[in-house]
Amino acid sequence: MSGHAHYREAHPLVFVITHYINLICMIMLAFSGFYIHFPFFNGFMGVARGMHFVAMYVIIINLTYRIIAAFFVKTATQLGSREVDTDIKNWLPQEENKHQLFETVKYYLFFRKEGVISAKYGSLQKIAYLATIPLTYLQAYTGFAIYGPTMNMGIFSGGLDMVGGPMNMRIIHYFMMWVFIVFTMIHAYLANIYNLNPSKIIFLWKETDH
Amino acid sequence: MAQEAHGALHDLLEVRGVTRRDFLKYCGSVAAMLGLSETMAPQIAAALEGAQKLLPALWINGGSCTGCTESIAQVDSPDVATIVLDYLSFEYFETIMATAGTQAEHNITKRVEEGGYIVIYEGSVMTGFEGRAQTAGTPDKTGLAILEEVASNALAVIAVGSCAVDGGWVKAHPNPAGATGVAAWLQKQNIKTPVVNLPTCPVNPEWIVAMVVQLLLVADRDVDKFVAATKWVTREYADEVTDASVSLLMPAGIYGQSIHDNCPRRGHFENGEFVDVLGSEQEAMGYCLYKVGCKGPQTFTQCPVTRWNRRVSWCVEAGSPCIGCGGLNWVDNNAPFLMRMSDMQLGGALGNVQPGTVGAVVGGVAAAALVAHGLGMKAAGRVGDGPPMETAKAYDRKRGAKKGGDK
Repeated sequence: MSGHAHYREAHPLVFVITHYINLICMIMLAFSGFYIHFPFFNGFMGVARGMHFVAMYVIIINLTYRIIAAFFVKTATQLGSREVDTDIKNWLPQEENKHQLFETVKYYLFFRKEGVISAKYGSLQKIAYLATIPLTYLQAYTGFAIYGPTMNMGIFSGGLDMVGGPMNMRIIHYFMMWVFIVFTMIHAYLANIYNLNPSKIIFLWKETDH
Repeated sequence: MAQEAHGALHDLLEVRGVTRRDFLKYCGSVAAMLGLSETMAPQIAAALEGAQKLLPALWINGGSCTGCTESIAQVDSPDVATIVLDYLSFEYFETIMATAGTQAEHNITKRVEEGGYIVIYEGSVMTGFEGRAQTAGTPDKTGLAILEEVASNALAVIAVGSCAVDGGWVKAHPNPAGATGVAAWLQKQNIKTPVVNLPTCPVNPEWIVAMVVQLLLVADRDVDKFVAATKWVTREYADEVTDASVSLLMPAGIYGQSIHDNCPRRGHFENGEFVDVLGSEQEAMGYCLYKVGCKGPQTFTQCPVTRWNRRVSWCVEAGSPCIGCGGLNWVDNNAPFLMRMSDMQLGGALGNVQPGTVGAVVGGVAAAALVAHGLGMKAAGRVGDGPPMETAKAYDRKRGAKKGGDK
């Protein structure tokens, strides 16, 4: 599964940069979010809130750009291949992923020995990567719903009434942060469990042969 | 009160030693609550003074602690609010009236027949035990029957205090008395009388005055005009007891902004200066009460502006974190009061759990599972170059021979 080459075609420079932006923003958002939830040292609230808002705007713009770019930028179609096609095709489920979801689960639960055939991304990976899109927008929505200047706008006040007020929305916002934290933990783990070559290509843009 | 409420307002003011200047100043603060310019103070004064007769009112107690009555009645000297409230002719006011028994009940029946009155309802509507959670007066006359009687012919009902708005603390989990709010219950009974909601526990008497002034000044006792001319915030609320979806009307001038946004300690919040322990030096220095559970950011009332006890002080200014009494379902949404977030009522063996604990457990379990999984991956010999790959999908291997594969 990971004994393959990692070429730049898998992650073109533009997506290396969007990935960096995601990572930095997520760290800033989680850190400042924890601080806003409960200030664990003094003298930082104004900065924490500012950081939280800036990082949120940047990550939303970055995500939107990333989705649009997927329709224009070409990426590798297979692991360890330089053959490219439009990125969105490699992002959405493909022929290779068909019937492989439960096989992938079985593989990770040690119920089968051989690695499963997949395209550039496996079935579970694609579900996770696609799910983060609505989750990120939803997280921004729950954030705006508890943010003073926007909470009275109909679209947000309606949501507040639906969940039973800002306290509940705050708790939902807080739990969703944990969803992102757990996602990041699993993502980093699975990407690097075989070797660190995936990190070399996505962070250093350094190719490896096997 | 009911016994004293005679004569024109200016006589009352004069007798009680309130100067015209004090009175106008007070009218200015009422104007601010109504979202009007302070230059409207003379008109407010004129409306109060010029009203020809007292507005009849029935103060009805539901399932409550009588704290709202205390809030308006327990003053050690007559202040302007008390005198203006005297402008209502309370024909029934259980806690403080002298009359009792049949005669007191007669006051209600007579007023309901004649109409032209407002109801000020304090406390929750107790629907539990077929309404017998609350009975008063005539044997077996339930609180529900009394509310239905007085509300059906009233100009408007002013639901004072959080209990009257949505059941308040009386409806806190598990709510054995089936407590709910006036608006939800009236809606279920198909009684169309408009309900003005004034939450907080107890209600601030000045907000009642603001609504009375609005009814007298802007609307000239015409309730339709009153509802149309007042700027409202509407809180959509799904009531569990009556299954009604209610739009709760609250005056925007009073319930439009969060406590946090107008808080005198807000500067310290932005600076990141917090009180860690109640009773500490930081508290005395006016530091922010966020870490000791202040619910000001989630609570929308004008407490920091109106303040309490004749504008002397209020909870947060006195050093106590806001417990969110002006919100809906406020006890379950805000308890424990000294924690940042409310408990999640998971029930059973889990009981009440803080969201922070849930988050940490989920994160911890995920981390432990990944470590265990990583050890498994190593033991299975997958680390390094990965596992041997399958040459065909399991699906194809099973069916391929017969059907020609996954096409």
